Amino acid sequence: MFINWKLREINLKIVYYGPSLSGKTSSLEYIHSRTHPEHRGELISLKTREDRTLYFDYMQFQMGEISGLKPRFNIYTVPGQVYYRGTRKLVLKGVDGIVFVADSQLSRLEENVDAIKDLYDDLEELGYVPREVPLVLQCNKRDLPDIVPIPTLKEQLGLNGAPTFESIAVDGEGVLDGLKTIVNSVVTKARGKINPSPVSLGEQSD
Amino acid sequence: MKQGLHIPEELLNQIEYILAHLAEKAHTDSIVLADISGQVISQQGIMDEGTPDIVAALAAGDVAAMSELSKRIGENDPHGSFFHEGESKSIYLHNIAGSFILIVIFRAETPIGLVRLFAKRAVEQLLTITEEFEEAMGPKTTFIPDDFSTGVTQALEDIFPDD
Repeated sequence: MFINWKLREINLKIVYYGPSLSGKTSSLEYIHSRTHPEHRGELISLKTREDRTLYFDYMQFQMGEISGLKPRFNIYTVPGQVYYRGTRKLVLKGVDGIVFVADSQLSRLEENVDAIKDLYDDLEELGYVPREVPLVLQCNKRDLPDIVPIPTLKEQLGLNGAPTFESIAVDGEGVLDGLKTIVNSVVTKARGKINPSPVSLGEQSD
Repeated sequence: MKQGLHIPEELLNQIEYILAHLAEKAHTDSIVLADISGQVISQQGIMDEGTPDIVAALAAGDVAAMSELSKRIGENDPHGSFFHEGESKSIYLHNIAGSFILIVIFRAETPIGLVRLFAKRAVEQLLTITEEFEEAMGPKTTFIPDDFSTGVTQALEDIFPDD
């Protein structure tokens, strides 16, 4: 989170995280396509020749002035392939909220579990308390055969308490629900950090 | 790493003054100061709307990659710099203490030595106020209004109406 009190801007960073080919880039492309040009920036994609995410995808959307403040959301995806772990960690720097895009196919369950473990390890190394970072679970590819039931997927990922949405990212189904939920969670958390209640005063850790 | 940054107006004025001085002395096209996670803190010069944010996000990736590359050859300097020489415009990036990034864009006819000299001076000045950045993390005197969260929820529905 970066707050520029001079311009009254609140910049928040949301990262779409998950194993390779789980639908992170498709989700961001859909969000970009559904955002009115006056509210969005350019969609930047750093891809390999094979059209796989090399560094990250990035877009920003803004809302105009709300209660005298201008919220701006910087949304990133990470490259999912195992050997790009270093890149994933750098994209997570300064993150305010995460959408974990899981591949619902039974054959990809292990990759999902590995990815959530990597995410928590990276967050911890960056100084976060992983369970305190707002996170939404987006269970993607719900239209495919041989998919894991949602309760099983949540349990395997250790995300029983996380807000969860089923999605088909290539068609956009469920993508905006996940986005709206993470934006609301991030804003609520940011407000709580800046306006600490009397109970939480003195407990501020960062 | 700090997980949030709140920069009060007085501090931003100081930063703007330093960047303006650099722009004038080194004849730069535009300058962006970003934090290490790619968020724009301040900018100088004319850029299309949204461009500074993209420049900052990409520069953060670049600096992180270059820092890792440097470590592979035994370098651990958190103040490394590098530049891209273009045909009409070039880019100079300076990692400030592993926390901030100074991005200077200048025309090809401007000598890199000039940019490097004044950028280093600007970095030294920015470093002296780094501690104030840290202090700015302390208790805030400004509050986010009560109706802000509700306003965001409503704005989200306006931007992305349900099908």
